[in-house]
Order: sequence, then structure tokens, then C-alpha cells
Amino acid sequence: MSETHTEPIIGWRLWHVRRHEDEYRLESFTWHHVSWPARRRFEARCSTHGGAAPVQGHECGIYAFRTRELAEDLLRRYTGVRQHYGRGHHELPPLRQGCPIALGRVSLWGRVVAREHGFRAQYAYPYELFLIGGDDGLARELRGRYAVDVSSS
Amino acid sequence: MDIGAPETEREIEIAPLEEPVPVPAPAETPAEEPVPS
Repeated sequence: MSETHTEPIIGWRLWHVRRHEDEYRLESFTWHHVSWPARRRFEARCSTHGGAAPVQGHECGIYAFRTRELAEDLLRRYTGVRQHYGRGHHELPPLRQGCPIALGRVSLWGRVVAREHGFRAQYAYPYELFLIGGDDGLARELRGRYAVDVSSS
Repeated sequence: MDIGAPETEREIEIAPLEEPVPVPAPAETPAEEPVPS
């Protein structure tokens, strides 16, 4: 039996920030060319379960971690830096490919499968973004497009 | 750590009263200028 709540879960995740034609968009970190829509929810789709994602025991759904630290660990693995980087672990590693990345909080709702370290959700929308490898102009552009707070580091 | 054991999963249903998606701000309509009668 599942629990029912009315408040969205807030998780942490990473996005690539890539240019699509003449505008930058958030893109899935693990699925290339899957961009997140602006001002409407992102909906999970599964090649096996369709719109029923996420399904327990499968790997479908929109992923998020429970904590910022876990999302930063993924970023360190992505950039190939195995140790904690920077003073007090607050600095993040430099990006290898020059492609900006957004680290941020994300609202999750609908059907959500909770695990020890994170969640797989049916619906999601960015809540707050920290831009890594992007300048103030890009932060402003993303802020206007997704209508959420965006800080550049 | 029990390697190979499936991670425990728990399903939660979240039905927010309002979807956490920002809506565009309504366009400002200019205040009507008073017209002298």
C-alpha cells in the first residue's frame, strides 16, 4: 500500500545545459537530447511501461537524490575527480568538456518510488539551480525560461 | 553490505494541491488614463 502526501518531495539532481537551436535548455544528465520543458512539468516515460513509469522493481522514472552531497558525488564521478574537491568540499571540480552543468533542487510528485539514496518520480520540475561552468548571462536566460532561481558559481 | 540484495523501495503518491510549476506572470494592463470630460 502506498502513502499519500500533498507536498511535493524536493530532491537534488544534475542537468546538462545545452543549446537547442537558439536557446539553452536543461537536458537529462544520463539521456542525451532529452530536454526538460519550460513552465510545464516533465513527465516520466518508459519504453516498457509507457506513462505508468516509475514502476517498482524497474529502473524507469525521473531520478533525484535525497541530498546535495549525493548529487555532487555524481558530478565528481562524471568529471573523474575521485577525491573531495576544494576547501571544505564546497568547491566543485572544473568541467572537462566546457559544457555547463546545473546542480539543483527539483520538485517531484505524482507516483514516487523512494529508495535509500533517492527517488524515481512520475512528474518533476526544477525548483532552484546552481550553474556550474556558465556565466551570469546564461543564468539569467535559464531563470527567464524556467522561472526558477538560478545562481552562477 | 549485502551486495546483490535488491534495494528496498517504497511507493509514495503525491498529489499536490497546486502543481509546483511556475505560471507566466499575467501581462500588465496599463491603467486607463483619465479622460477629461
